[in-house]
Amino acid sequence: MPTTVCSAKASCKKVSGLLELTDSHLQWTQDGKKTPSIRVAHHEAASLFCSKESAAQVRLKIGVHGNENGHNFTFTSEQPIAYQEREKFKIELTTIIGRNKQQGAEKASGLALPFATPSSGPSTPATNGSAAKSTSARPPQISSAGSRAQSVASDSRATPTIVGNDPAADFHLRKKVLMNNPELGTLHRELVMSGQISEAEFWDGREHLLLAQAAADSQRKGKPGQIVDPRPETVEGGEIKIRITPQLIHDVFYEYPVVAKAYSENVPKALSEEEFWKRYFQSKLFNANRASIRSSATQHVVKDDPIFDKYLEKEDDGLEPIRQREGRTELFIDLGATNEDHGEATVQKDITMRAGRQKGALPLIRKFNEHSERLLNSALGDNPTHKRRRLNTDEAYAEIELDDLHADESTDGIVLDMKDRQRYFEGKTGAIESQSVFQPTLDYGATLREAKASCTGWEKVLNQLHIERKYGDAALFSLTENVDARLRGRSKKNDIPDGLFRQMTTCQTAANEFLRQFWSSALPPSVDISTINVATPAQRATKSAKMIGYLSKTQEKVNALIQVAQRQGLDPSRIETASTLMFLTYVW
Amino acid sequence: MKFYIDNLPIVFPYDRIYPEQYAYMCDLKRTLDATGHCVLEMPSGTGKTVSLLSLIVSYQQFFPTRRKLVYCSRTVPEIEKALFELKRLMAFRIEQAETEEQKEKERSFMGLGLTSRKNLCLNPDVAKEKKGTVVDARCRDLTNSMVSEKNRQNPGSVPVCDWHENLGAMEPGTLIPSGIWTLEDVLEYGRQKVICPYFAVRRMMAFADVVIYSYHYLLDPKVAEQVSKDISKDSIVVFDEAHNIDNVCIESLSIDLTRPMLDSAARSVTKLGEKIEEVKTTDAAKLQNEYAKLVEGLQDAEEADSDTIMGNAVLPDDLLDEAIPGNIRKAEHFVAFLKRFVEYLRARMRVTRVVVETPLSFLLHLKDITYIERRPLRFCADRLQSLVRTLELGRLDEYASLQKVASFATLVATYEKGFILILEPYETDNATVPNPVFHFACLDPSLAIKPVFERFSSVVITSGTISPLDMYPKMLQFTPVVQETYPMTLTRNAFLPLVITRGSDQVAISSRFEVRNDPAVVRNFGSILVEYSKIVPDGIAAFFPSYLYMESIVAAWNDMGILKEVWKHKLIFVETPDSNETSIALENYRRACDNGRGAVLLSVARGKVSEGIDFDHNYGRAVIMFGVPYQYTESRILKARLEYLRAAYRIRESEFLGFDAMRNAAQCVGRVLRGKTDWGLMVFADRRFARADKRSKLPRWINQYITETASNLSTDMALTLSKLFMRTISQNPNENQTGISLWTLEDVEKAQEKQRALALEAEQRKEDTDDDEDDEYGNGGLSDSALMEVDLDV
Repeated sequence: MPTTVCSAKASCKKVSGLLELTDSHLQWTQDGKKTPSIRVAHHEAASLFCSKESAAQVRLKIGVHGNENGHNFTFTSEQPIAYQEREKFKIELTTIIGRNKQQGAEKASGLALPFATPSSGPSTPATNGSAAKSTSARPPQISSAGSRAQSVASDSRATPTIVGNDPAADFHLRKKVLMNNPELGTLHRELVMSGQISEAEFWDGREHLLLAQAAADSQRKGKPGQIVDPRPETVEGGEIKIRITPQLIHDVFYEYPVVAKAYSENVPKALSEEEFWKRYFQSKLFNANRASIRSSATQHVVKDDPIFDKYLEKEDDGLEPIRQREGRTELFIDLGATNEDHGEATVQKDITMRAGRQKGALPLIRKFNEHSERLLNSALGDNPTHKRRRLNTDEAYAEIELDDLHADESTDGIVLDMKDRQRYFEGKTGAIESQSVFQPTLDYGATLREAKASCTGWEKVLNQLHIERKYGDAALFSLTENVDARLRGRSKKNDIPDGLFRQMTTCQTAANEFLRQFWSSALPPSVDISTINVATPAQRATKSAKMIGYLSKTQEKVNALIQVAQRQGLDPSRIETASTLMFLTYVW
Repeated sequence: MKFYIDNLPIVFPYDRIYPEQYAYMCDLKRTLDATGHCVLEMPSGTGKTVSLLSLIVSYQQFFPTRRKLVYCSRTVPEIEKALFELKRLMAFRIEQAETEEQKEKERSFMGLGLTSRKNLCLNPDVAKEKKGTVVDARCRDLTNSMVSEKNRQNPGSVPVCDWHENLGAMEPGTLIPSGIWTLEDVLEYGRQKVICPYFAVRRMMAFADVVIYSYHYLLDPKVAEQVSKDISKDSIVVFDEAHNIDNVCIESLSIDLTRPMLDSAARSVTKLGEKIEEVKTTDAAKLQNEYAKLVEGLQDAEEADSDTIMGNAVLPDDLLDEAIPGNIRKAEHFVAFLKRFVEYLRARMRVTRVVVETPLSFLLHLKDITYIERRPLRFCADRLQSLVRTLELGRLDEYASLQKVASFATLVATYEKGFILILEPYETDNATVPNPVFHFACLDPSLAIKPVFERFSSVVITSGTISPLDMYPKMLQFTPVVQETYPMTLTRNAFLPLVITRGSDQVAISSRFEVRNDPAVVRNFGSILVEYSKIVPDGIAAFFPSYLYMESIVAAWNDMGILKEVWKHKLIFVETPDSNETSIALENYRRACDNGRGAVLLSVARGKVSEGIDFDHNYGRAVIMFGVPYQYTESRILKARLEYLRAAYRIRESEFLGFDAMRNAAQCVGRVLRGKTDWGLMVFADRRFARADKRSKLPRWINQYITETASNLSTDMALTLSKLFMRTISQNPNENQTGISLWTLEDVEKAQEKQRALALEAEQRKEDTDDDEDDEYGNGGLSDSALMEVDLDV
């Protein structure tokens, strides 16, 4: 039995079915059939094409050796999910195809290797975290869960993706980071594309950005929160129009199962697709489903519809809901229990405290609650009703305990491990000792008397105090000058032309990057970053030498800039000062 | 930790203690020593319940008298939480006890919680009933002594409840082993042993050291008579979360009658008549017997607990120990009497204008029309009970309306002062369809609680929000020996109260009736919600002054597209009138908060959610109070009550209304905190909150943290402050709280040392006022003359 890596609902040639990727094949099974009608072995896969992210349909095309047309699959799940599923396939297939290509090259050089051995080739097959994580988003109908399904999207923080294992995924990540970060993008263009430093060097020390991006990508995006409420637009001539998209249809079916039921029962027998929607949006059912309190007002205007009116439910505006739920909540939030505890009320509440007086508000409120619950269930799965009520003692204690009243258990702290500890303490104790030797000799009385004596007649001394004028003037003068300089600086700030200024900035960021590279190679590597390609000392030395070279060239660049400035008729000294300043800030 | 307060060893189930908790315990002990009553306001979330239980249990275990503790709370979740606190405390005490003997003493300690049959029933046939009254009635049919008797004589002849029967076979006093039993525990035990948890708890109450139940069981005479009659007088009574106690008192002595109720009562009377005719032909001796008993004035001498069919609505002191008057002794006479009375009430309901009258004038009018005297009317409820028992009626829930009418009759004939009758033919002033309601309203909360104060020597009234403190002794007519409010000691401000008075567009916001539906106000309220849902993580709880307002504003927000904005950031849950539905919404709200999706819960300030549900930690990072939660001031009952309060206790109308609104607002807002590491925003969105007279009615611990700048903000300013606050509070609290807002054992001892020194000093000074040795004590203390004045004042 082959293990399923990932699977998704997808249609091929407009026939819906299930697309699966096992550890040996990519296969597609038509709905209702047992055996797959399309099977592509991994080694046959030659190329992969995807539709654009913004495209209405999520497509994936796989090219096969010996069949130029390949196979076309359209993911039929709802847009965000379909997109995720496609990504998952894409990641898996990219690795497979990458491997195929490499093996193809090896074969050409006469080194034929069996295809199925996953350990072959430097690009180790998809065992990396990112792929594993995305498989967890698989639809629930697949029961044969491989070991990959263990990691769930929610614990992505606990298992960070190891960057650098999978070139394809890595490339995507890097691209995304650069796209999201325009400044970094410019720098990358400047340095890497121009070949000054290598790609790996550039990313060295920036792994956290990739990790963050990978974590963000692996987070499954939930459904958007808004209630599906298609609002008609009025077009000219008093007609109203509602735009129907496949997404909207899907949402409507999801939100209002009764519409889905009506659809499946009536289309295409009683009504055509188009007719169905046309009539639905004019029916009472639509108005009942609308999340608006005004809908009750329009009820009279809307004409009867023999088909849709069958599906109308009684309005849920009683004090008790029509659909009573089974099972009770845990006792700590069980409001019903309190209600029963106090016996029947002998008095009525005043009218402002009685619910349901605003017509149509209760169905609306219920709609909100149901919608929120549905959203929650779509992300978390249904709430198990059977184990709700029972609350075990530990859980209950956790709710009532005040955490900060417990003593900290780790108050001892960690003992600092120092070399030559003796020396530090000796120094200190020595000081204390000398103090203690010194202290007894101190005669407080005498000191006090002395101090007192020195204080006598302080008024007179104060009167004698005379400050020479010169110093005051000098201070004042320097202050004024300072203010003047600032004013001048401020008024002249913006006269560097835009182009030149940008060049200056680029020059500065580049120098900055070189510096960063230099320091990262000069300083001992930090321990906590688990980089795979930790450079050897020799490599580091060459790198730092290279960086020193680049850095020394910076002065030339600055000079070039100054020349440009001169040509443009600007004060060269200003540019120089500015550049040097910018430069110096970062050098030392 | 273990420490002493004046020789009393206190076992506290934590390693540290908040200074508030220590102070609270000291004051509590003072009250118990003085055998008096007290009013204590303790900041929400600072572990009030655990301090209270810790002190009282220590007190009980130390002194040989072992005064019983009756702990009353508001809601079932709170009762259950208190039981868990007690369970945790006792487990700690057992662990801490040094000798085996002591351990045994701790183990023999018993704590029980009681709630209604509906919540405790295990009989699947009965428990499936939806309404509590039906469960009660069906339970009585299966468990009353007559049924048991019949079953004993002739097993299988009548349906009985196995769970209840199994209890009868057990030795009384050993139905449940000692220890602490939460409601869950007792249910589970009942399931295992196949015994009825409800009756097991009821019968074990006499043996329990701590009983925890809802305060209706002590205040509502209908229930108190059945449940709490045998509680000994030296018990310590605690009303926790007592800020609403006056309303409970009033409600327990008030009755509303509606037309459908009277119709149902009339049908019940007819049914009673038929039943009497039937019994006359089959078992006439029964009625004869009853009549003879009534003539002799012998009433239900011995009564098993399960037999009480319904409690008398009148307070115990006002019960008459007389024989039932002659004209209603005969069953058929009594039925005719009831019929006449019900007919009279139905006739009154046809009036289409509002009538406000005193009980006396009602009785006069009644007598004029129907010749019904006051005396037999007073016995109405008792007589009905006796008749029901004689006829062996089942399914009493069908007679609920008639019971209500009988209670109404008894109450109206018993009380004069502090009560009023109001007949309202229409629900609102502009309604056209009559829906008459006859209110018999109690106006004086002190009446219902009076027996409690008189009977028990120590009554503790405590809550997070009972400011101003002197209001409660005034309203409930008692003299406390200790009356205290505690500030909250914090090393960093764990909560940020903000008063938003206007929107970003500078339009004043208010839930005042005239402007509340103004689109500008609605939009500004909406933008507060939208903006806060953008910046606050996890849960936000929002409260509205009334259901009516919440419903209209939710609808308006939806149509204005405001909720669409909120959906982008958080899920929305709304309180509904159905409790179970709301519980499920609440559960989902918590799931959304735990999951990180975040949610907004919209609810009502006096509603179900505002009572007893905590929004601590991630369940509530912000609470927004939209508007001032005033009562419906157009209510005639409220107007009458205000008038009465002014006349009887000199409490001004505006003062009471403001007080009532602010205690509810504080209650809602105070639910965000639990412990001092928790944090939350408290947003008061109404122009009127800025006024000094409103703010002064907030509890001190909230008020002390409202800065001058934060007391009058526009939405954008409030957002800036909130963001700043959240950024700082999310930092790791570096400074050590110990010593300031957290005390270790040493800190407690240090404080005690200081206190002792102060006391000693004060005493010495008193002795040596003539001597000039005062200088020795430095200049930190009071001068002698000041001290003298203080003494004189006391």
